[in-house]
Amino acid sequence: MSASSTPTFNNEYYIALECKDLQANAMAIDSSGNYVLLGGRRYLAIRNLEDEYEVVQKYPRQSKYDVGAAEWNPTQFHKELCVISSNQRLEVVTTRHDDLTQTHSLRAHTRVITDLNWHKADPNILASCSVDTFIHIWDLRDPKRPTLSLSAVAEASQVKWNRLSPHLLATAHEGDIKIWDQRKGTVPMQYIAAHLSKIHGLDWSPKSENYICSSSQDSTVKYFDITNSRKSEFVITTTAPVWRARHTPFGSGLVTAVVPQLRRGENSLQLWNTTNRATPVHTFIGHRDVILDFDWRKQYPNDLDFQLVTWSKDQTLLVWKIEPYIQKLCGHEPVEVEVGTEIVVDAIESRLPRKNSPKVQPLHQEFSLLNVHIPNLIVKKMDPVARNVAVKVAVNDFLVHLQVSFPNAYPFGVSPIFQVMPGSTINDSASHQLLQMLKHLAQQRVSKNRTCLEPCLRQMVTTLEQLSTSLDPNKVYDRSYLEPPNIFGGYNDAYIPFPKTSGAKFCSVGTLVCFSRPSFSRRVPTKSESLTRATTPRALSALENHFTKQASDYMTISTYYYQRHRSRAKNFSKQSRTVVHIYDALGLFFMNRQLAEEYILDGDLSTVCKHNGAAAAVVGRFDLVQAWTLAELVAGQSDDKEMAMASHPFGSKLMESLINHYATQYDIQMAAMLCCIFGKEMSRKSAQSLSEQSKKWKLKATSPYHTIPPADVVADGWVFPMMRTKRSTSLDNIRVEVPAVVRTTKPQSTLYEYYKMAYAETLHRWGLIYNRTEVLKYTYRIPDVHKGVEFVSECTFCERQVKQYGCVFCKRLALQCAVCGDSVRGLANSCAPCGHGGHRRCLQWWFRKKSVCPTGCGCRCMSETARLFDT
Amino acid sequence: MVSIINSIDTGHEDMIHDAEVDYYGLRLATCSSDNSVKVFDIKSGVQTLIDDLKGHFGPVWQIAWSHPKFGNLLASCSYDRKVIIWKEHQRKWAKYYEYANHDSSVNSVQFAPPEFGLILACGSSDSSISILSYNQGTNSWDAKKIQNAHAIGCNAVSWAPAITPLFGNGEGDQKPQLIKRLVSGGCDNLVKIWREDGDRWVEESKLELHSDWVRDVAWAPSVGLHRYTIASCSQDRRVVIWTSDDCLNWHSTILHTFDDVVWNVSWSLNGNILAVSGGDNKITLWDQNSEGVWQCISDVAKGQGQINN
Repeated sequence: MSASSTPTFNNEYYIALECKDLQANAMAIDSSGNYVLLGGRRYLAIRNLEDEYEVVQKYPRQSKYDVGAAEWNPTQFHKELCVISSNQRLEVVTTRHDDLTQTHSLRAHTRVITDLNWHKADPNILASCSVDTFIHIWDLRDPKRPTLSLSAVAEASQVKWNRLSPHLLATAHEGDIKIWDQRKGTVPMQYIAAHLSKIHGLDWSPKSENYICSSSQDSTVKYFDITNSRKSEFVITTTAPVWRARHTPFGSGLVTAVVPQLRRGENSLQLWNTTNRATPVHTFIGHRDVILDFDWRKQYPNDLDFQLVTWSKDQTLLVWKIEPYIQKLCGHEPVEVEVGTEIVVDAIESRLPRKNSPKVQPLHQEFSLLNVHIPNLIVKKMDPVARNVAVKVAVNDFLVHLQVSFPNAYPFGVSPIFQVMPGSTINDSASHQLLQMLKHLAQQRVSKNRTCLEPCLRQMVTTLEQLSTSLDPNKVYDRSYLEPPNIFGGYNDAYIPFPKTSGAKFCSVGTLVCFSRPSFSRRVPTKSESLTRATTPRALSALENHFTKQASDYMTISTYYYQRHRSRAKNFSKQSRTVVHIYDALGLFFMNRQLAEEYILDGDLSTVCKHNGAAAAVVGRFDLVQAWTLAELVAGQSDDKEMAMASHPFGSKLMESLINHYATQYDIQMAAMLCCIFGKEMSRKSAQSLSEQSKKWKLKATSPYHTIPPADVVADGWVFPMMRTKRSTSLDNIRVEVPAVVRTTKPQSTLYEYYKMAYAETLHRWGLIYNRTEVLKYTYRIPDVHKGVEFVSECTFCERQVKQYGCVFCKRLALQCAVCGDSVRGLANSCAPCGHGGHRRCLQWWFRKKSVCPTGCGCRCMSETARLFDT
Repeated sequence: MVSIINSIDTGHEDMIHDAEVDYYGLRLATCSSDNSVKVFDIKSGVQTLIDDLKGHFGPVWQIAWSHPKFGNLLASCSYDRKVIIWKEHQRKWAKYYEYANHDSSVNSVQFAPPEFGLILACGSSDSSISILSYNQGTNSWDAKKIQNAHAIGCNAVSWAPAITPLFGNGEGDQKPQLIKRLVSGGCDNLVKIWREDGDRWVEESKLELHSDWVRDVAWAPSVGLHRYTIASCSQDRRVVIWTSDDCLNWHSTILHTFDDVVWNVSWSLNGNILAVSGGDNKITLWDQNSEGVWQCISDVAKGQGQINN
């Protein structure tokens, strides 16, 4: 594949493109006359005829079918659209943004499409016909199904809209032509039996809406008036089956091409004058193989520069100049002959710069040797005359348009100049690095008088790949999903709430965490909003609506707020946008950390209250000092039983009202402390009364061996080892259960439990675990029900339940061995079902021979115990 | 009264959407539209960035710290439909669990009270709420979904506190029944209360007052007043306080109507003070006086560390 040569007309044509691997079947020229689309099975190629140095753009296709037909939209409105047919599908592609993308895929035909045609005036209408006998008329605005379907009985090979009348279209079926009016699509308007053999081509006259010509396998071209279609107006007879016959945009000529499949050696086009039809007036010779398609460039009637573009199976695209004398032959009077010659002059002049500056080193050879198959790199333009090259590189999420300009003395010691063009998405530091690298590499090579274009381009791709991955190793996550510019835009965005940019949260104990938009961010209300009150929108879709008008790369919440100040905002340190403030709001509450650390609960009541009162005084809470004094009075021990305020009805009521007072004020600290004091006092009182009687008390669901204080249930893994020493079998623990007796009489005791637990939670958050445990001792937390097997032993002598081997009450060893009769000290075993046990050694010896219990109770201890544990 | 401890320059490349300090007040987590979550150590007024968590592909809307008894866990939810739970291991954070079963942006996450175990609620714009529970026995997560919780989408979730003083009839022998309750707010302008009934979640109450999308809901920590309190705020610029004695009949009070959308309501741990923030970029604190009337006790000037009383 080679780039184009100079576009001078050599005889009458120049080679616009020679592209061996394209294998295109269809060719189409757009309405401006500048772009040619060539459609083949593997590629779609677009060639800009204006810019001769531009390399042809090839776009790969994933299809196993050839392109049957192609046509650009002839209207100004949609001039960037081109439709191609691929087996049963129509694909509409657009060349916006430097790239060929498919905009629509129209499916309705059930057999291969034979022809397609855009409406001449309406930009959205398209007609297609197929072997399945249907002619579908499509509207691009509703691409799911055809707007109209014309049903013909025979398979259609051509469809063409009338050039002048917007409602007429003609279709060819075998040897017949049907004229349809799309307003009445049920039956054709007109039916012309044109030929006896197959019609290959149809073409309406550009001058009159009633004339149409058809070219056929029988080697004739017939011209019909549809209003009087019984007989053709005239017939042109050629020597070979005619593939296509097209009117010339000037005069009254017709250009015909031979059916390419025949390959009869007819590699030329013939031009006829329809008024004088004996022989062709001109033959376009130049192709080395059959002509597949041809069309006119710039078909406007006032145009003087008529060019015919032909595509042949020899994979060359030729542009033919129509000389004025040819135009005359068709009955057209070219108005200004001078213009025609000027074109020729221009073409010659373009050669001059090269001859007149011998010092300039030719770039042609380097350009022609350049291997443009560098991955991720597209060479857009290589101009040896202007001495520059434009390339586009797309690597990961970098898109770089690079322009390379070659000074005259290059490559002898002078390196080319690299420039990153606007429109590239690359950050400044990466761009800088890239240019440094290119400069360095170029300099290395030109200092040895060697060319450097190709190595520089290759190195550029590698460098960009490295730069894009080194930025952030985690970026690989980003890429596989949503790219930043497109992050919003899902249709669901209307349901997603607008992001919040300011917030305040209470955390931990009294910490307030705040963040908000800094003061310099201002949102400019849009016109519609300034009419009503400018409020923040409700849904995320407001972001996109805001951005559709601007071509903004990054559509994020911050650009929504900083739009006006974007350039200035860069000068402010970015950080000032994202500051979080942490406030200590403890002063708003009655919780005091110092007091929490200072308060004690251990010891006798009066010292406790005195100490706590003093602590409150230090902090300045004199109201608390009063409360502590009161508490001391109420709860304090007094020898004189009558004076004991605790038993006085007023005393307890005072405590209760104190607790209530603090609770309603949300001073949980004081309320909880008072509850503990209250509980401490009550339990002391009850314990005193209980110890006076000696009776069995029921230990609740706790196992006697379960000596872990309830505090552990709450804290799980957070009890420090030293806390275990707090575990004791002292009376203190037993007292914990006693409040249960008191509890049942007071309905608000659950409330007090709550205050204590809430305070304990606060202490936990502060990390004051010790103080917390102290408070928790005063709470009645139902411990987890022991789910295992419990062994409760009774003292054999006094029959009271005991925990250790020594009975506390009768002061004797609790267990007596069933075998030897001695009190058991040390390893002991017992049988669960019958409850008898003894020394391990004794039982071991006994059960070696016997299976029944040594006491004589009849229980088969070994088997019974085994059975118990079996399930 | 309120003083500033620290101002942390998070270094996020885009706007912040949530910030929360952990249980002990030692760590700060922030999340932003730049798809990352950052964790800072803020002990004794000195800030250090511990880690920058990347794993979301879209703006991260909210983060939540778990109770420390489950380890240092942080949950985050994002526009990319994912909920990620991050765990710390020796000052390095890594993904512990990722839940990607929502069909649209997940807007809100909150951990349940620790008494229920390690449970996380997530509200999403696909109208459903999912409850993720960690099962210690199988070392796996189960997910339960409340489908069609709110038409169009759910914007906020908040758990009710586990211990309320309403249990205990003096029996005290049985463990009190801890009922899991959740309040959620959505785009259908409703605040709904959900209760776990056996294996499923049922809608217990529907609170209607707002005339536009509900943006945030917050269940107040119990203060032992035999009352349930919920705050909700909405696009209609109002904050509403809902109170009930039995969780079935609710009484509403409009706290205030602001100048712009209200985005965030947060209750203090004790003391019943509500912090409110919204689109007008102001943060205000509200308290109830002795007659029960809500009044503004201070307002935090935007980002400048001053409190005006």
